[in-house]
Amino acid sequence: MDFDYTSEQQDLRDAVAKLGKRYGHEYFVRKAKAGEHSDELWDEAARLGYLGVSVPEEFGGGGGGITELAIVCEELAAAGAPLLLLVVSPAIAATIVSRHGTAAQRARWLPGFADGTRKVCFAITEPDAGSNFHKLSTVARRDGDDYVITGRKVYISGVDECSQVVVVARMADERTGKLKPALFMVPTDAPGLTLSKLDMEIVSPENQFLLFFDEVRVPAADLIGEDPEAGLPALFSGLNPERITVAAMACGTARYALERASTYTATRSVWGRPIGSHQGVAHPMAHAHIQVELARLMVAKAAALYDAGRDLEAGVNANMAKYASAEASALAVDTAIQAHGGNGMTTEYGVATLLGATRAGRIAPVSREMILNFVAQHLMGQEKSY
Amino acid sequence: MKIVVLVKQVPDSGADRNLRSDDNTVDRASASNVINEMDEYAIEEALRLQEAHGGEVVILTVGPDRATESIRKALSMGPDSAVHVVDDALHGSCAVATSKVLAAAIAQQGADLVICGAESTDGRVQVLPHMIAERLGIAALTGARKLTVDGTSLTIERQTDEGYEVVTASTPALVSVWDTINDPRYPSFKGIMAAKKKPLQTLSLGDLGIAAGEVGFDGATSTVVEHSKRPPRQAGNKIDAGDDGGSKLVEYLASEKFV
Ligand SMILES: Cc1cc2nc3c(=O)[nH]c(=O)nc-3n(C[C@H](O)[C@H](O)[C@H](O)COP(=O)(O)OP(=O)(O)OC[C@H]3O[C@@H](n4cnc5c(N)ncnc54)[C@H](O)[C@@H]3O)c2cc1C
Repeated sequence: MDFDYTSEQQDLRDAVAKLGKRYGHEYFVRKAKAGEHSDELWDEAARLGYLGVSVPEEFGGGGGGITELAIVCEELAAAGAPLLLLVVSPAIAATIVSRHGTAAQRARWLPGFADGTRKVCFAITEPDAGSNFHKLSTVARRDGDDYVITGRKVYISGVDECSQVVVVARMADERTGKLKPALFMVPTDAPGLTLSKLDMEIVSPENQFLLFFDEVRVPAADLIGEDPEAGLPALFSGLNPERITVAAMACGTARYALERASTYTATRSVWGRPIGSHQGVAHPMAHAHIQVELARLMVAKAAALYDAGRDLEAGVNANMAKYASAEASALAVDTAIQAHGGNGMTTEYGVATLLGATRAGRIAPVSREMILNFVAQHLMGQEKSY
Repeated sequence: MKIVVLVKQVPDSGADRNLRSDDNTVDRASASNVINEMDEYAIEEALRLQEAHGGEVVILTVGPDRATESIRKALSMGPDSAVHVVDDALHGSCAVATSKVLAAAIAQQGADLVICGAESTDGRVQVLPHMIAERLGIAALTGARKLTVDGTSLTIERQTDEGYEVVTASTPALVSVWDTINDPRYPSFKGIMAAKKKPLQTLSLGDLGIAAGEVGFDGATSTVVEHSKRPPRQAGNKIDAGDDGGSKLVEYLASEKFV
């Protein structure tokens, strides 16, 4: 067993951390409060090839794996400037295209993922189908050379800053009539597609949207894999990278919060010595630090398994990494706020600003309850409860 | 144009730094080591010149085995190759001896231009650029905040306390730079992946024709005999903005000869 990253991975980590620090949490909050996006950070990271690390080299990417992409996600978050759309665009959408797109689709779409000029969001959740995606009601039907999509999607992140959205719809099997998932690459300005921004209690430059698809026409060439059979495996191929990168991002945010807290408690003095010398302050921080390190280990393991092509094992570990990191980051932020006293709730000290996002990490992209269901059922042999 | 950039590995100035208790040299083993900050500006300047005028950029480092980490990081920014002078006998070398080693390595490489940082964050002596230029018999354009190259002629804006001086020379020459000269680039992912595959030549003192006794503790012109931590900062003088606050402040400033 080897716990060391390669020297290239370590250098990538150092480089991304340095870039992230130049932007920092102040940039992130300023953008969020002004209703703007982290375009400058995205563009600079893209130019340096950090956003395309996991795209195959033949399409201009870095030729690395999800381990590298997770490092990028974690270090930007650890600098206080996470890029949420990394979880959606390079992790989910690029992986789906890379693994299940046709040769023509890969040639068409992957170069943009490699240099970060193509930003693509991902829409599966519906008002009546979140945890239970068997109830998806967005449908696609064939009409001549096109498919026509009708339905609704909700909480879709980043639609206003993406050129396209990967839409998970259902399509009737021509022989059996049974509904099967089908994934489409849909331009976000397609006629018949309307967006409505949701008011969320999250400080973030990225927004969530409600999408209405009213007979949206998509050329058959934009059905990912160009084969109705490709839908389910394509959908599953995006889930592990999504969970691993979202977990890495949560670990980064947790590290950021604990670093703010430990810097503060080492100097803030209330009874004539730093408050960090009181165990009531120091132990919760140490406890949170341990939880974060455990979660990071799980993220590294899940990413290593995924990069080794061991998808099934990666899936189990990605779920556990996602669970552990969401809990650890919620704990870390809560602990950091408490350690700051009243300052913890100010915008200036930059920890309460993380509350909404870390809390949402327990719900999205898969809730803690659904992971506990999965572990209880598949790893511990318990009967399915739903 | 062939440009040699001097890169030193130093303990991170943002972290705790110490001298060793046994021989008073910089403790590199327990420190987190990084590229000397000013050297990143030197690398950037060399890469910009290469982009504008072509040629080749070579990194030159004198330092222990683990300095290869910093060489790799320097190469990930874009230079073509590196030379690493590593020899146990170098331990304890003073600035004069170090300049001898660097000058010998530069002479062996042959360079039109040598670029280095104006100082290192561990030693902070600022004498090495002059010593190296003197040994090589080339012009030293030190403390640059701007460098322009036109054929074989070089012009710098030399940063001073009051402003700047314009200094010119022709190649071969040495230029030392401050952090005002540019914004160093971040290594791209492709640069990071390529760094390990770039040529890295390792040289010993023998390869440079220098005897062990000329450097290290034996050849040192100066040695640190004792060191102690800087005393903790004293609490400041607090003047309340009361009735006589203003006059007390003036009194204090006068007593410190600030006014
Ligand atoms: C900030 C944010 C960004 C998002 N971005 C995207 C995006 O880009 N694209 C996208 O498609 N979706 C996105 N989502 C949606 C997210 O994936 C869903 O909210 C999540 O999957 C939960 O679905 P739901 O909201 O419908 O909750 P529900 O399914 O209604 O669940 C409600 C609660 O009941 C619990 N529950 C449900 N079933 C069970 C059960 N069997 N056993 C125990 N507990 C159960 C759940 O755990 C949850 O706590 C985002 C959500 C948020 C908050």
